[in-house]
Formats: sequence, C-alpha cells, structure tokens
Amino acid sequence: MGVWTVLQERQAMLLDPAIRDWVLLPIMLVMVLVGVVRHQVTVLLNGPPRKADLKSARETKGLQRGGILRAFGSHLPRHAFEARKAYITEAFEKGTYLKDPKAGNKPKGNVMQDPAYVETMMDGMKKNMMNIVPQTVIMGWINFFFSGFVLIKLPFPLTIRFKSMLQRGIETQDMDVSWVSSLSWYFLNLFGLQSVFTLILGSGHAADAMRDMQAMSTMGMGPAAGPQMSPTGQPQDMHKIFLSEKENIELTEHEWGLDNVETRLLVKYGKKPRSILLDQKRAKALSAASSSSASSSSSSQAPIAAAAASASGSGKKKGRKQA
Amino acid sequence: MSQQINPDDALYVDMFIAKNSQTVTFMRSSYSAILGLAAGTLGLTNWSGFIFYFIGSAFLSLLIFAIKAKASPALYFRHPLDVFTEGILGGLLSYILFWTLLYGMIHVYD
Repeated sequence: MGVWTVLQERQAMLLDPAIRDWVLLPIMLVMVLVGVVRHQVTVLLNGPPRKADLKSARETKGLQRGGILRAFGSHLPRHAFEARKAYITEAFEKGTYLKDPKAGNKPKGNVMQDPAYVETMMDGMKKNMMNIVPQTVIMGWINFFFSGFVLIKLPFPLTIRFKSMLQRGIETQDMDVSWVSSLSWYFLNLFGLQSVFTLILGSGHAADAMRDMQAMSTMGMGPAAGPQMSPTGQPQDMHKIFLSEKENIELTEHEWGLDNVETRLLVKYGKKPRSILLDQKRAKALSAASSSSASSSSSSQAPIAAAAASASGSGKKKGRKQA
Repeated sequence: MSQQINPDDALYVDMFIAKNSQTVTFMRSSYSAILGLAAGTLGLTNWSGFIFYFIGSAFLSLLIFAIKAKASPALYFRHPLDVFTEGILGGLLSYILFWTLLYGMIHVYD
C-alpha cells in the first residue's frame, strides 16, 4: 500500500466521476466507432480493384522482367542468360513494351487532359478527404464541448514545455503538466488506438491515424497514385526508365550458380573444411580482377555474400516460409 | 529500380517477408495494449512504467524468437534482429494510451 499513499499525496486533486463517464469514455468510444465506420466506408468506396489495361500491364511487367533477370540470373546457364540479356536490352532500347512505342521521346502534352491520370488523382483526393474529414469533425466536437476540461493524469511526468500543448484552454499556471486536457486525450487516442483497430479490423485496415498525418502533409496527391506516377504526381517518361533498366542489365555480370557446386556440397556436409571455399573465392576474385577491370563495385562483395548464402546449402532457399 | 540488387536479398520472397512482419506487428500491438492495461492496473508511474514496457516486450521478443521463428529468425526476416526491434515504438503509443486510461480510471478517479 506504500505506493498508493505516495500517489494520493502527489495527486491532491479530485476529478468528478461524471467527467469520466460523460467525457473520457465517450471520446474514446466515438473514436473507435468512427475508425470502424471509416474502414467500412473506405472498403465501400474503393470497390473492386480497377483493372489495368493490357498495355500498361505489359509495360510494368516488362520492367519487372528485367529486374528478375538481374536478381536471379545466376540460376540460368551462361548461354541462356546471355540470350535473355540480348533480347531484353534490345526490346528496352527500342521501347517494344512501351504503352505507345511510336511516341518515343516526344514531350508529353498537358497531363490534365489524360483521363486516366485525372481519374487516379480524383481517387487520391477522395481517399484523402475520407481521412481528413472525420478527424476534423471529431476535433471540432471536442473543442466545442469539452475545451477546458481536465480529463486525466498521465502516469509519467513531462517537462514544463509541454504545458501549453497539453493544457490548452486551461489557464492554470501551477497545475502539474501531467494533468491533461480533453484535446490531448484525443491525440493520445488518435495514435494509440492503432492496436484496437488491428484487433477489430485485422491488419491492413483503413483506420490508420499515421496515414492521416501523412495525408495532411501531402494534401492532394495521395499514395493512391499508380505505379507509373512519380512522387510529384507527374507521370514519368517510361522510356527513360526502360533505358536505365537496360543499362543496369548490361552492367550485370553473369555468375553461374552451379560453379564449384560439388565443393560447396562437400563443405556443407562437413567432408571438406570451410576454408577451401574461401580460398577458391579468393583465387577467382584475383583472376577476375586481373582479367577484367570493368567489373562493377558490387561484384567484389557479391562472392562473399553468395558464399555465405550458398555455404548453408540449397535447402535453405526452400526454407524461406511464413511464420 | 535503378539501385543494385543485393544477391542475398534474392533468396527471400517479398510477399512472405511482408506477411511475417505483419504477423509480428499484430502480435506486438495487441500485446502492448494488454501490457498497458496491466501497468495501469498496477499503478506504475514514471520510469517504472516504461521499464515495465521494455521488459515486457523483451519477453515477447523472446517468445517470438523461440516459438514463432523456431530460434532461426534468419529464415523469416531479412535482418535477424528484426524479431527484437520491429514494432516496438509503434506499440509504445498503444501502451501509453491504455496505461493512462487504466491508471486514470483506477488511481485518479476514485
């Protein structure tokens, strides 16, 4: 009971239980309910996901194909890799996969006249309004009815600097900073109810307060902008992206994943010492360095990482699975 | 798209990684709310409350590490230490909310 007496000494202020029943709990309840409603409305508004048209799907997938070749090229034999490299670089260069291959480098017209672009933007606006309006309404409600209420005491002390923020509307100079007003309780809820929503609505819900904050700061262009939009909201020149991807592919060196696989297998089952692998790597790196100076900087570290990964065997690759 | 692809990353499936971290975040946020309820009921104040949170979430990390990740987090996460750090600060906000709520209900309002 020692803790309790200390608490009572420090408290020296009693709050009317009616405040708890009619202000503290209702605010929390309303915020939870509004979050739930908002989630449902967002689900309704979004409807079924819009289908991308064939051409733009081909555009993105073509780009992805380049990335996949770069990432997993080591699983292909050299001739297959080279064939794909040649084919993809040529296709990228010519812009075969572009939505409209003839447009070439011609500068785009006014983006506002592109109906697809306008539609994406409207979608983003709609979503942002969905986020901002309810929060503004709740904040107005709290400000209108409950401004100047001391609602609750934080269980931890804060510095005096927080006083103007946490006790806005309460003109008491000597009150401890840990007593906070209704508006701070609102903010506490705004950030802390995350877990409640996760429990009620499952993860990936649309009642996210953090997203609100981002939405307010980037008013207008939302995260709804499609993959072909840059952060500034302007559609990017896809041909340029293709060209840079082509350059990346050209820089990628082929390293056949089955190189000295037999040694690795023996090392894995402990038939040979691990140091053999390192020696081989070193010898290979030396010969590679002497033969070609054009290798990119990352390829010198790559063998080490690859050695670490492959030393533990191919079984591990299959083992990446869900918890 | 333009940055170099780390060959080690290629061994992981992005979808599974995202799912795993979602699972961990779910566990953490639920757990930190419950932890907050406990702290408020106990009437912890000041540092003891925060220390309680960090000890509690270290315990949860151990559980995740031992039970969910079966002591080999490298199979499920890009960085094995993610098991211990992911979602701790996000959980802290929920913790503070429920800590404050229960503390206020039990120890401030009579």
